[in-house]
Amino acid sequence: MTEQFIWAVALAGLVTLFLKSAFIEGQHYFQLPQWFIDALEFVPPAILCALVIPGIFKGDVGLVREFGSVPIDPKPIAALIAAMTFLTTKKTVPTLLAGMASLYLVFWVQI
Amino acid sequence: MPHDPNRQLQSRALQGMRAMTPLLPGIVPFGLIAGFTPVSFGFTWFDAWAGSLLMFAGASQLAAYQLMNESASLWVILLTVAAINLRYLLYSASIAPHLANADRLTRLLAGYGLTDQIYAICHRDYPTHDWDLQERVAYYAGGSCLIWGLWQACTVLGAFVGQIIPVFWSLEFMIPLTFLALALNTLKSRSHQTAAMTGAIVSFAGLTLPYNLGLILGGVAGIIAGVVHQRMRS
Repeated sequence: MTEQFIWAVALAGLVTLFLKSAFIEGQHYFQLPQWFIDALEFVPPAILCALVIPGIFKGDVGLVREFGSVPIDPKPIAALIAAMTFLTTKKTVPTLLAGMASLYLVFWVQI
Repeated sequence: MPHDPNRQLQSRALQGMRAMTPLLPGIVPFGLIAGFTPVSFGFTWFDAWAGSLLMFAGASQLAAYQLMNESASLWVILLTVAAINLRYLLYSASIAPHLANADRLTRLLAGYGLTDQIYAICHRDYPTHDWDLQERVAYYAGGSCLIWGLWQACTVLGAFVGQIIPVFWSLEFMIPLTFLALALNTLKSRSHQTAAMTGAIVSFAGLTLPYNLGLILGGVAGIIAGVVHQRMRS
């Protein structure tokens, strides 16, 4: 465990605890401003999509690290298939399975 | 005896557990992923568990470990965790009046134990029952302890399983897949879709920026785009 890791997790824990208990802790609660509540609506789609992108386009998956690279990165194609699976089934577990299966398949057809 | 206060609190705690039970299966795969993906990045099982203990907030745990693996700067990690967990401010504000008179430690523990699931059942059941503070706390504690225990168990189990799963299984790819499913699940309106598309495009354009700044820019741009789109429509 590196010192940097301990700091990151401990501070991330503190930030989380602060957000979770900010209002439960405070004796005087005040109304959150309406613009803030309006904006909060869009935090999940915006930040989650922004997070997906580096996971899909950056770095190499274990397959590539272990067996060497292939001409076409399998991650974006696998993600696309996973997205279509979610949009049709609305279920997370089949989405994960479809994504992983396509990752293996798209890698395998290229070796 | 129906008026034995201890008996009554015990039954409230059990009631909280029962209300929580249907929500539990959904967190199992998520908890396992939160355990084995950090291990697939090379963290130890204990490192992986540390996130569950200290943060106890699934999506932000995944994000934190992914970003640590990408050597993102500490500020980007914290901002991302804060953004993903901002919704807790709303939960916390909404649940606060029900727990306001509890003592300090109880309120702090309630804050730590706050999850989407406990918020959902308390938000639903507090207004429709005439419970006193102690009963509300017992209900909250029952539900929270159950989901906390299961989450910790799933993370540790996932971390141990992760240690014996070979690298080429590429389990770390489940993180972006999980975020993808979570993101697609939020697209309730055109404005949400606009926020999501903008977030993705800006994040893509900023992929080569240092410290994973593209992620933060994408998040901010997406939120602004969603708000602007909604304002323009109404």
